[in-house]
Amino acid sequence: MNERMAARGPDGSGDWVSSDGRVAFTHRRLAIIDLSPRGAQPMLSADNAIAITFNGEIYNYQELRAELEQKGHVFRTETDTEVLLQLYVDRGPAMVEALRGMFAFALWDARSRSLLLARDSLGIKPLYYADDGWTLRFASQAKALLAGGAVSREPDPAGIVGFHLFGSVPEPFTVWRSIRALPAGTTLTVDATGPHAPVPYYQVAASLQRRATEPACDPAAARAKLRAAVHESVRYHLVADVPVAVFLSAGLDSGALLGTMAELGVRDITAVTLAFEEFRGTPNDEAPLAADVAARYGARHIVHTVDRAEFERDLPAIVEAMDLPTIDGVNTWFVAKAAREAGIKVALSGLGADECFGGYPSFADLPRAVRFLRPFHFMPGVGALLRGALSTGIRLGAGWHPKAAGLFQYGGDWAGAYLLRRAVYMPWELGSLLEPDLAAEGMRRLGPVGRIGAQLKAGRPLGAFDRVSALETALYMRNQLLRDADWAGMAHSIEIRVPYVDPFFLAALPPGEILDAVDAKAAVADIPSPPLPESIRHRAKTGFTTPVGQWLHAAAGMREDVSLSTASRAWARHVWRAGWPEMALT
Amino acid sequence: MKGDIRLLALLTDGYGTRGGIARYNQDLFGALADGGASALILPRLGDISGLTLPPGLEQAPSIFGRFRYFLRALWAGWRHRPFDVVFCGHIYMATLGWMVARMLGARFWLQAHGAEVNEAPGRLTRRAVEAADLVTVVSRATRRALLEWADLAPERVRVLPDTVRDTFVPGPPSEALRSKWSLGAGPILLTVGRLAGSERYKGHEQIFAALPALREKFPGLVHVVAGEGDDRARLEARALELVGDRNAVRFVGFVAEEALPDLYRTADLFVMPSANEGFGIVYLEAAACGLRVVGGVGGGSGDAIGEQIGMRVEPNDREALAQAIERLLFQGRINPEAIEPYRRKNFAITARRLLARLMAHPRRMKDAA
Repeated sequence: MNERMAARGPDGSGDWVSSDGRVAFTHRRLAIIDLSPRGAQPMLSADNAIAITFNGEIYNYQELRAELEQKGHVFRTETDTEVLLQLYVDRGPAMVEALRGMFAFALWDARSRSLLLARDSLGIKPLYYADDGWTLRFASQAKALLAGGAVSREPDPAGIVGFHLFGSVPEPFTVWRSIRALPAGTTLTVDATGPHAPVPYYQVAASLQRRATEPACDPAAARAKLRAAVHESVRYHLVADVPVAVFLSAGLDSGALLGTMAELGVRDITAVTLAFEEFRGTPNDEAPLAADVAARYGARHIVHTVDRAEFERDLPAIVEAMDLPTIDGVNTWFVAKAAREAGIKVALSGLGADECFGGYPSFADLPRAVRFLRPFHFMPGVGALLRGALSTGIRLGAGWHPKAAGLFQYGGDWAGAYLLRRAVYMPWELGSLLEPDLAAEGMRRLGPVGRIGAQLKAGRPLGAFDRVSALETALYMRNQLLRDADWAGMAHSIEIRVPYVDPFFLAALPPGEILDAVDAKAAVADIPSPPLPESIRHRAKTGFTTPVGQWLHAAAGMREDVSLSTASRAWARHVWRAGWPEMALT
Repeated sequence: MKGDIRLLALLTDGYGTRGGIARYNQDLFGALADGGASALILPRLGDISGLTLPPGLEQAPSIFGRFRYFLRALWAGWRHRPFDVVFCGHIYMATLGWMVARMLGARFWLQAHGAEVNEAPGRLTRRAVEAADLVTVVSRATRRALLEWADLAPERVRVLPDTVRDTFVPGPPSEALRSKWSLGAGPILLTVGRLAGSERYKGHEQIFAALPALREKFPGLVHVVAGEGDDRARLEARALELVGDRNAVRFVGFVAEEALPDLYRTADLFVMPSANEGFGIVYLEAAACGLRVVGGVGGGSGDAIGEQIGMRVEPNDREALAQAIERLLFQGRINPEAIEPYRRKNFAITARRLLARLMAHPRRMKDAA
């Protein structure tokens, strides 16, 4: 297992076995805070009663340490890992609520003979576990659990169906029945009776609901609040004993990060931009605009240009590095590769901004769909009937996207509309992609619409902006973007930090309806001082910014001028067949 | 564990009947009662005339008929309410258990033993299984088989393996048994298990087929077959047909639990290449008496037969079976500490912990009571 995760931690490796031989941790270290050997893991408390293995960073560890020292705790290292140990002693499992950062850790308490597994609020760091009824195994990668040889590879229909519906596997499922993801924002305790059910300590919808109850503010105050929140989050995300770089696209979000870093006084910033040979000289080429932004804030700018040959060369390694099947992550693979070649270890990313600032088309599409199609939601069977008719029309060459057939069946409620918006394939298409029994069993266990709807439960109904924000944050961002950032970054030993993905940051923003009213996405350009250049502000969103779909289609001898959605479907089929051939039955 | 926990147990086999499931139930409720819980047991089979049940346990007269049992379970549950937990001892009765638990607003504990979970049941039973707050299974294999079709959170399915009673300990071989059954001075292979037409997977015939070659190497080797059942006559005929020597295989019939330790101690190797044992308590009993074990690949016997205890072979691979027997026959007795985790005291601790865990689970919304 340890060897399988070597790329995640090339700076060190350690093992620990409890005195009775019943608990063992292994760890790979990517040294970022306290680079000395004292920071090695697994780490034990001074009395050897508590052991921890920890993946991630705690950005507020210095504040927590100061609080603990005031209470009399004595520290032996400068690490955030030791802060976790002492914080556990002080607060027990409730400690997780105080943590600002990205983390997945396991903590063995010999006094209570219990193991605590914990994962950060929004799911930045992964944590998988396999419980066979006798032994619980856990790791940062599902494939590392398989590498040990003791975990069954039996396929999980729910995870397989989930991948084909969403383009990524929705937690807690994986594509293996024996392996589950610990859901984001939960802890799990294992005692003498085995693992207990994961206990949530953070829920996106509830957090947005709390934020929505804050007093209203005027647009100027809202923009000031937004600016302050970004500044604070970036400041926290710069905590490191190694230089922190930034992944820079031609968008507002990463530009604002770079500008804020410069404003906060960070010197010698390196910005890394990904470009594609096929896009050179077209509006999709991000390099020239990114160069403007880098120049404005005095950053060293590295542009890595990928061509079809490099893509094809790396393709097997990309699929191999994917921990679970996914239709994304290719951009991150190449930008992380470029960062590694430039000697970078840590980089900020603008991931998550679209979810909190309303940057996706779904923020407009979903409320509109629900408003106009609501009546069909209350007419049982009508939507399905219309879908059948529309599917026939599409098959006969109506020229619509296959998903359009489900408009009346799914578009009338939030969960259904979201499925329709984000789905790669729709439920009725699964029978032609997968073995029918497997598809039916997977649908039964996954219950996609119910699972989506569960992310909206917040005690009281959310506003439209917050509903979409909750869905995009708790589903697409968590299961797709963050997981992809993790495997693609760690494959090159790059720690990707995401200042827009932070529960404290989300809580510090104005309520969703106000963010919507002040056009938060546009306001991001004014966060740094000086603000982002005009050329960036007025650039149209280009959507799927890799020519991967086209490359794959070309490789298959098909025409290259395909739509984004068609490319995603082709890529999903390729990933599935190339990476999980033993499960790809059709 | 708090002393006032009260269970309603819907069991196929209660006190006063024999067999693996009955013994498991008796061990489980004995352990829970020792921990202070009380239970009303409603058995399909079991006559407690002349028996003294552990304090805290009460068993109603058995009712075998399905419909009558169904009515009685509903009535007894209602009449003797409240209950904290409804325990259902078999997947086949899961729907009834679920209904009674809902009616009483009690937590629902379901037990699975093995083969019954290999195939997905009907929709209603599956729904009842998926509604369980806790499912205990006897082996990891049973757990895996159950989770293949049941949409249950894996942490709700815990392994509570069979237990070995404390009378199964090493001791001297019984010369009396050797002479009683005229076993001679040669090595003894022993198989203990029901001789039922529905349980041919236990592998008796595979042993018979391997015997001629083994007896050439080990003259005087005898295979003792303990157990009774509707397939005995056929097996006796097959033994004669395959081995050709009436004295090579001895069918000794049912052996009472009290007499089993002596039988194990007298044998040289326990062999039962079963393809589908839910757990295989007999493997552990044999090991607890110091005997090495040859089992079959398949079912849940992998949990019982660890490396220190013996080995498992493909049941239909005659050569592998013969090799395994040859290899283990004279390796000497095992250290009985290897089965320490399966001793009753550990079983009882785990059973009580599971009940405490279940009690920490939020009580169901009461539909009645």
